[in-house]
Amino acid sequence: MKIRAIALNTLKEAIRDKILYLLLFFAAVCIIFSRLLALLTVGDRIKIIKDVGLSSLSFFGALMAILMGTGLIFKEIDKKTIYTILSKPIHRFQFLLGKFFGLVLTLFIMLSLMSIIYLVLIFFHTFKIEWEMFIAILFIFLELCLITSVALLFSCFSTPILSSLFSISFYIIGHSAWGLETLIKKVKPGFGKTLAQILYHLLPDLENFNFKTEIVHHLPIPSTAFLYSTLYAIFYTLFILVLALLIFRKKDFI
Amino acid sequence: MKKFSRERDLSTIFLVLLLILSCGVFMILKIENDNISRKKLPGSSVIFIPSGKYLKFATLGYSSLLADLVYLWAIQYYSNYSIPERFDYLDHIFSIIAELDPCYLDPYDIGALIAVYDARDLDIALKILDRGLEKNPDQWIFPYNAGHYVQMLKKDHILAQEYYKKMMEIEGAPVIARRLYADAAFKSMDYQTALENWQEIYQTAKEEKDERIKKIASNHIYQVKAAIDVQMVKGAIAKFKERYGRNPIDLSRLVKAGFLDSLPKDLDGKEYIYDSKTGEVKAPTIPWKR
Repeated sequence: MKIRAIALNTLKEAIRDKILYLLLFFAAVCIIFSRLLALLTVGDRIKIIKDVGLSSLSFFGALMAILMGTGLIFKEIDKKTIYTILSKPIHRFQFLLGKFFGLVLTLFIMLSLMSIIYLVLIFFHTFKIEWEMFIAILFIFLELCLITSVALLFSCFSTPILSSLFSISFYIIGHSAWGLETLIKKVKPGFGKTLAQILYHLLPDLENFNFKTEIVHHLPIPSTAFLYSTLYAIFYTLFILVLALLIFRKKDFI
Repeated sequence: MKKFSRERDLSTIFLVLLLILSCGVFMILKIENDNISRKKLPGSSVIFIPSGKYLKFATLGYSSLLADLVYLWAIQYYSNYSIPERFDYLDHIFSIIAELDPCYLDPYDIGALIAVYDARDLDIALKILDRGLEKNPDQWIFPYNAGHYVQMLKKDHILAQEYYKKMMEIEGAPVIARRLYADAAFKSMDYQTALENWQEIYQTAKEEKDERIKKIASNHIYQVKAAIDVQMVKGAIAKFKERYGRNPIDLSRLVKAGFLDSLPKDLDGKEYIYDSKTGEVKAPTIPWKR
């Protein structure tokens, strides 16, 4: 109940933020711009629209999660409102989870709005609703949840600017796991290889949520991939949230 | 107070255990996920990459960086033998890199190398190298490579001669350029050009006291002169045969019959070897054994 109250409050606070609408505007522009970009190509224009649209959803969603998530806790500390909240019978995990779910809810609404624009644009080209697109969007949402938890983690101990940088790095690393995989194949067995293997498994692999290519090309995707990717998102988010909670508990507010 | 502290300790232990557990689970899930083979379309987006000219405007000043990235990607892409149609857009991809960073020299060489040895498409290789020269007119390496490929794979010595000529005209081109040009001219049976150039090379080597090159040039002059003489003598033999219905017994008959003014001799003053049965004429010495 307390988590819900904080989450709703976070949502109200977030939707007042102008940056959210600015990002939404740019996302919409990018999605619509994909129509113009498609004119430059020789071949399947719908493919370009789908690709650019899904990438815009993913990119601007991640920007929203990072820019809003990194200031979430810091703002409360900076404005000293956290003292009022924590002086009430609220556990810190409730506060943290409330903030997390509040932002996840905000992202859900924003992603839904962007998706509507995107799906309408596709509908005007194909005259059919492509249900597979919802799978790609769902996994973009799971990725955003994970990024939100990371932004929240950094927000617990760092300034918004630094937290944004860390979160963006997390995002880049998450999408570059293939580089480490290639490195493992090339490095000779030994300490370096073991270290690379540990890092490969420990560092986030956001490509697990990337079904964009397969969906756009109508490729078959094993159902186990959906299952494991969903569980991966849940457990990685849980891991980050627990880490954030452990750090947040160490903070001395009262 | 003590109870509160104990509760806090217990919850910390619980959180740490949860942290380890979640970490273990997501690592296992990652391994499991990696084991799932997902159907991929490697390089399927290649045809959708717009022309480099348009792409350059979209890079916001990072065109060289994008060129690097496309080049790096291209190397990986062309190393992937599971894409049989990967060469379909070879020229397109390397033209993008050229548009993004025209002075980036490696992609022209590597692109041509891939085209020649992997794609077995000499025309694309020449297109890439021509583009390299067009964008970097001071780089002799492009006509050099083009000439080499044309000579080795197409045996088109006339085209090779053109490339080596371009190479020669570039400032800073190595001296070997003229030798390659002269050699290609000889192979394309442009004996006069070959002779003039080898003589010039000989003269330069003599002035620079480069004995090795002087020797090489001398041998080539011998070879070219012999080819000119043999061609001339064979022409005379053909005319002789046309008139008398047989080959001359010896070459002096050609002079007596008025087909030649005098009998040519090789560069060392030796007479050419003639076989009256077959009508074949050849130089008395192998040029490289002089």
